[in-house]
Amino acid sequence: MKLIKAIVRPNKVDDIKDALARNAIAGLTVTEVRGHGRQRGHSPVYRGSEYEVSLLPKMEIEVVVADEAVEEAIDAIMTAARTGEIGDGRVFVMPVEQSRVIRTGERDVV
Amino acid sequence: MLRVAHIAPVETAVASERWGSQLDVARAELVADARLARAGLSALDRYSMRIDKLIQDIYTSARGETTTPVALLAIGGYGRAQLCLHSDLDLMVVFGGPIAAAEERFLRLVLHPLWDLRLDVGHQVRELRDFDHVEVDNPEYLVAILEARFLAGDRAVFERFVAACLSEGSDWHAPMRNALVELTAQRHAQFNRTVFHLEPDIKDAPGGLRDATAIRLLARLADRDLARRATSDAGRLDEAEDFLLRIRSILHLERGRNLNDLSHELQETVATLFGSSGNQRPRQVEALMSTYFHHARLIARSLAAVMKSLSAPSTSTPAAIGHDLERAWDGVRFTDGTRASLRPDTWLCPFEAALDAHVPVSDQVLTCIERHGERYAPERFLPSTDERDRLMRMLRPRAGLYERLSEMHGSGLLGRIFPEFQKIYCLVIRDFYHKYTVDEHTLLTIRNLERLTTPHTPGRQRFGDVLAELSNPELLVLALLFHDVGKWTNRNHSEEGVRMAVGALRRIKVPERSITDVVFLIRHHLQMSLAAFRRDVTDPEVVTQFARLVGSEQRLKLLCLMTLVDVDAVGPDVMTPWKEDMLWRLYVETYNRLTLGYGDDVIDDTVPTIDEVVTARPDDIPEGELTTFLEGYPQRYLRLVDRARVYEHVRLSRDIRPGEVRCALEETGSAWELSAIAFDQPRLFANVCGVLSYFGMDILRGQAMTNQGDIVLDLFQFADHEDYLQLHQSAATELTQLLGDVVAGKVDIDTKLRGRARALAGSSRKQRIVPVVHFDNHHSRRFTVVEIVAENAWGLLYRVSRAISNRQCDIDLVLISTEGSRAIDVFHITQANQKLSETAQRQLRVEVETALTVGPTS
Repeated sequence: MKLIKAIVRPNKVDDIKDALARNAIAGLTVTEVRGHGRQRGHSPVYRGSEYEVSLLPKMEIEVVVADEAVEEAIDAIMTAARTGEIGDGRVFVMPVEQSRVIRTGERDVV
Repeated sequence: MLRVAHIAPVETAVASERWGSQLDVARAELVADARLARAGLSALDRYSMRIDKLIQDIYTSARGETTTPVALLAIGGYGRAQLCLHSDLDLMVVFGGPIAAAEERFLRLVLHPLWDLRLDVGHQVRELRDFDHVEVDNPEYLVAILEARFLAGDRAVFERFVAACLSEGSDWHAPMRNALVELTAQRHAQFNRTVFHLEPDIKDAPGGLRDATAIRLLARLADRDLARRATSDAGRLDEAEDFLLRIRSILHLERGRNLNDLSHELQETVATLFGSSGNQRPRQVEALMSTYFHHARLIARSLAAVMKSLSAPSTSTPAAIGHDLERAWDGVRFTDGTRASLRPDTWLCPFEAALDAHVPVSDQVLTCIERHGERYAPERFLPSTDERDRLMRMLRPRAGLYERLSEMHGSGLLGRIFPEFQKIYCLVIRDFYHKYTVDEHTLLTIRNLERLTTPHTPGRQRFGDVLAELSNPELLVLALLFHDVGKWTNRNHSEEGVRMAVGALRRIKVPERSITDVVFLIRHHLQMSLAAFRRDVTDPEVVTQFARLVGSEQRLKLLCLMTLVDVDAVGPDVMTPWKEDMLWRLYVETYNRLTLGYGDDVIDDTVPTIDEVVTARPDDIPEGELTTFLEGYPQRYLRLVDRARVYEHVRLSRDIRPGEVRCALEETGSAWELSAIAFDQPRLFANVCGVLSYFGMDILRGQAMTNQGDIVLDLFQFADHEDYLQLHQSAATELTQLLGDVVAGKVDIDTKLRGRARALAGSSRKQRIVPVVHFDNHHSRRFTVVEIVAENAWGLLYRVSRAISNRQCDIDLVLISTEGSRAIDVFHITQANQKLSETAQRQLRVEVETALTVGPTS
């Protein structure tokens, strides 16, 4: 099993959710986050005065998938999240040792 | 005092079987009632009586064990005969003498059969002498024995207990009352002090069964007046209690345990058993929960009134605070309640007075409105301009508005003035997001708006600043009141809300222009959250489309605040700081698009709105004349100016000659509007500003624009603080005459202004706002945009525009806005038909900053 963590544009969450569902990947966690990568914030101007926005609003999507489904899930996320502009985000993949369903006690169900 | 820990069971098989059968019969009857959703007050009373009989039988079999007088009492919920299927059986055994071995044997013979019947028995054992001292360290016990009821044994022992603890003037009363108040406060704190829970605990939550009990007990423990007032609502309280008990009985039946939380799953079961209205399960659940919140609200409000009465001073003299109003210990009340009951047109007065005085409205007023409200038609509450103005004044956001509107709603006044609002009374919409009933959600949006008047975080401060800039914030409150009224039907709730709001606002004669703004807000109240949270706000096209939707800065501000307070009222923590930032970003991007980037969107024959203006034109304006006039003006002209005024401008521009200016001056409420049309010429805008300044006018808003034929249209809204135009019959003519002379070059406005400036010398204030001059060559393809923010001052706009003209810059477009003491002016300029170079910008900056820092004497 792998944990896929994707930092994406907020408006892309619905597209990513749909893309994962089309690939029969159900169950994800979405969190509001802030941060910056190479896109280092910006300085909008309001009424003639600049104010710095160093941490940009992003969404973090976490999904756990079976090893054999990892590439498929990453492709789905990247296709749905890409605009081609700076600030599209990143995808990280991490190993998961085990998981349990709290209600039933089942192991390693993804 | 003795508490029995464990005694081995002693019983006879025959008696045990008989008692088991008695219990089975009683339970079967209660279960049958619960399955029909009828196990309310009467059914539980019957069940309690059957349990009484069982205990009396057990007592009879045990009484030979002791010669000491003894009484068996039902206490707590059993004491008030509201025993549910799995309720604890709270008993107290009181001995008239010392407890010894015989009394312990008696206790075993009473308690063991009850345990063997698997009843959850909670028991207390006392000797009569124990009641000589109050048990102040045991608040639950103090409250439980308040409802003691004789079951079996020696009645004289029971009466001595009553004399010691429950009789009037007993030492136990004050500690009992304090215990009840303290336990109630602790319990409410566990539920975040709100009635509104999606899965409420029927027993313990605010507005639940424990609160209903607390009302009656506190009334008993307080003075007779209070008891009378509390029981005046007894009918409705009984109805509410019966409803909650019927639900509780079903919960016990379904769960098989003493659990009282009405979960989502069980709401469906309960709604089915109740036969709630609606042909689909979700509708049935919504109907059930609407009724629940109606009753819970009633109980919570009654308890709050009783609690408030506990703090009433023994003597207090009301103070007069207005016509037929006085301020008493519990808030603003009518001086003469009977007379007030006949004058529904005065009913808003106590609410306004209470808002002004930062106190509540008294129960006397609320009760009067509740009792007599239904006698009057909606128009009787606001029969004249005075009452309608009072309502609009009241609706301006400020501390206490939510509380007063809640009082108006609770007493029925809000629903009588606006029957449309009554449609959402306690309405539940079952979704994943909303935590409150639709009416409470609506009132909470207004509470959130009110809180923006004193924001507590920097994040909220920026929205608070926007609220402070609104000239008619009461329109936002009106829009919030009606934004969800359409939810009473399954149709598109925004459109239904618009339909209902238009009827209501016309009935109270809100000006059509204001109705248009309210309608816009209701119709589009979901659009900004959609754009901010579901679209890419960094995409210029998203911003452009949204800017097109809102059309003006004023509407953007209204919609932004509406979105903030609406999302925030869905539930705690729904409007996160993250979402606030997203919303603010869209606001800023859109604001900049509207003020800095609108110059490139000019009217041409591809603009859809031009067709409407052409089609609706009056006979005296040929199509060619109209389109020629419009071409080249920014599109916002058609968005912000109504058609009648557009046609008026066309007529004014007819056959105009260079050096000539034509004006239309109109009073609109508290301000004046000036339309001035002339061929473009150097310093034109500065000259118009100079003339208005010369007459002492305070320019609030304005815009200037140039069409393809070089015809300049200046639109100003200004305040005449000295009422010069009203007091002098010829003033309007003087103003337009001087304007004509200045534009024609016959009069030098500089010279005239110097005279007035000398008169104002010394009146200039210390500047509190640090001036900002910002150049932008990014937002517009054609223009350099200069944004100037500074302390508003007499002649400021004239000085700035003169400085721009002095640098040989052409002013093509201007947006003027005054927000409190802050002047925000945006100039779209060119120099020799080009955007300004960096060098030119630096030179102009020096000139403008000098104009901003010098006083009116310059």
